[in-house]
Amino acid sequence: MRHESVPIYWRNIPHYYRLVARRCKKCGAVYFPPVVRCRCGSRELENVELPHEGRLIEYTVLHQVGTDFLKQKPLIIGLVELSNGVRVTGQIVDAQPDKLTPGTKMEVVFRRVIVDGRHGLVMYGYKFRPVGGI
Amino acid sequence: MKDVFIAGAALYQAGRHYGKNIDDMAAEVLDKALTDAKADIDALFVASSTTELANKQQLLGAYILESLGLDKIPVYRVENGDGSGGAAVALAYHALRSEEHNCVAVVGVDKPNDVLSNQQQDIYATTLDTYFERYFGFTPLSYAALMAKMYLKKYEYKYEDLARWAVLMHSHGVGNPYAYFRRQVKLEDAVNSELVSEPLRLYDVGPLADGAAAVVLCNDKKEGPRILSIATSTNAMAFSSRPEYDVLYSLNEAARRAFEKAKITPRDIATAEVHDSFSIFGVLAVESLGLVKRGGALAAIKDGDLPVNLSGGFKSRGNILGATGVYQIVEVAWQLTGREFKRVDGNYGVVHSMGGVDKISTVVVVGI
Repeated sequence: MRHESVPIYWRNIPHYYRLVARRCKKCGAVYFPPVVRCRCGSRELENVELPHEGRLIEYTVLHQVGTDFLKQKPLIIGLVELSNGVRVTGQIVDAQPDKLTPGTKMEVVFRRVIVDGRHGLVMYGYKFRPVGGI
Repeated sequence: MKDVFIAGAALYQAGRHYGKNIDDMAAEVLDKALTDAKADIDALFVASSTTELANKQQLLGAYILESLGLDKIPVYRVENGDGSGGAAVALAYHALRSEEHNCVAVVGVDKPNDVLSNQQQDIYATTLDTYFERYFGFTPLSYAALMAKMYLKKYEYKYEDLARWAVLMHSHGVGNPYAYFRRQVKLEDAVNSELVSEPLRLYDVGPLADGAAAVVLCNDKKEGPRILSIATSTNAMAFSSRPEYDVLYSLNEAARRAFEKAKITPRDIATAEVHDSFSIFGVLAVESLGLVKRGGALAAIKDGDLPVNLSGGFKSRGNILGATGVYQIVEVAWQLTGREFKRVDGNYGVVHSMGGVDKISTVVVVGI
């Protein structure tokens, strides 16, 4: 979408750059995207960085994309289970889709997500790639 | 509490209406529904998903009423994404049950064709978590594709089995005078259509269409189709943290409550209109509603007809975003009474209206 918001991007940088999630101090449940209240009822949550390794659960190759992703299409969209059991959806890069299978070892990489051509704003975030490349 | 009757209704042909502004389109269909009901309304509920983003209009209800010269009527806009229609009908129903109002109208309207197709993708993606999903380029289609892939693997179906959904929808849509694509399609057309997010192909996607639908509901009538119950439920789990991907949680709960309140079971249903913005959602909806056992929908279609989406569903009637839920209620009421549609053999119909990828579902049970 044209004209992404700088304040929105800025305040989400910890999540986008370092996968900062929220962990319940009472029961230990981890939430990504972060939440305000744990399902156990506790409102005491702390920031925690998620591990950067995991395994692929499933993926798709998306050909119909929004205006920001026309130059990047097709996008590989994956669901990854990190080593602590937390699951995250993310783009998959540096991979040939037909060689990806559920269970493929994945790692987090830091990449450019959107470039706003009109204002020159470049926005970054986490993506996934197969460990060792395929 | 008083019963809620469907006193009048009207539908607008789904399609590309480049010559109409959104408020006028809604006003025309509302005017027809009011004439049909021969009733005055004391409140209006407007269901629209994307009027700000696609049509640059806030306060849409005020401009619909301006177009008809109807002063002093309270109007409320309801936005629950592509499930706005069901949610607006639910609020209208409660307003009548509480007897705060005696006759109200619900008009659903959306005009996605006021913007280009890539902009439509941008807008539809705002039904996802805008900071953690849309930001990274995900769209509802990509999530539907992941769910389809997992479903086909788990229940050992071939893609061809899923493609039968589109064929079934088009065969039903032939009987709907308001459908966007009112024609039969062949299985090979579906199977060979363009890959949009594997395993899903173009024929798995309900085309976005401009449209408007209106229904007049009253609590002072004695006969005609009646809303027997309504229930809405939210699935508050992120897509990435769902325990299972082959069930619609929001629908499961809404259906359980709606059937319980109406004192009927899924076996009593003669016609159902479900939210199949993508074929896989239709498949999951049929199962989560309880019409077919889990994993059994595609086998049921292979074996024969399924009295689901006699309108043609999102594939043939079209995906009219926030208006769709209102279309569905009118379609079910007309299928039960044999108006505009072939009359179904039975007394009960059900509607499933869903916002987002299994975020919010409304289930409406209609009876005659």
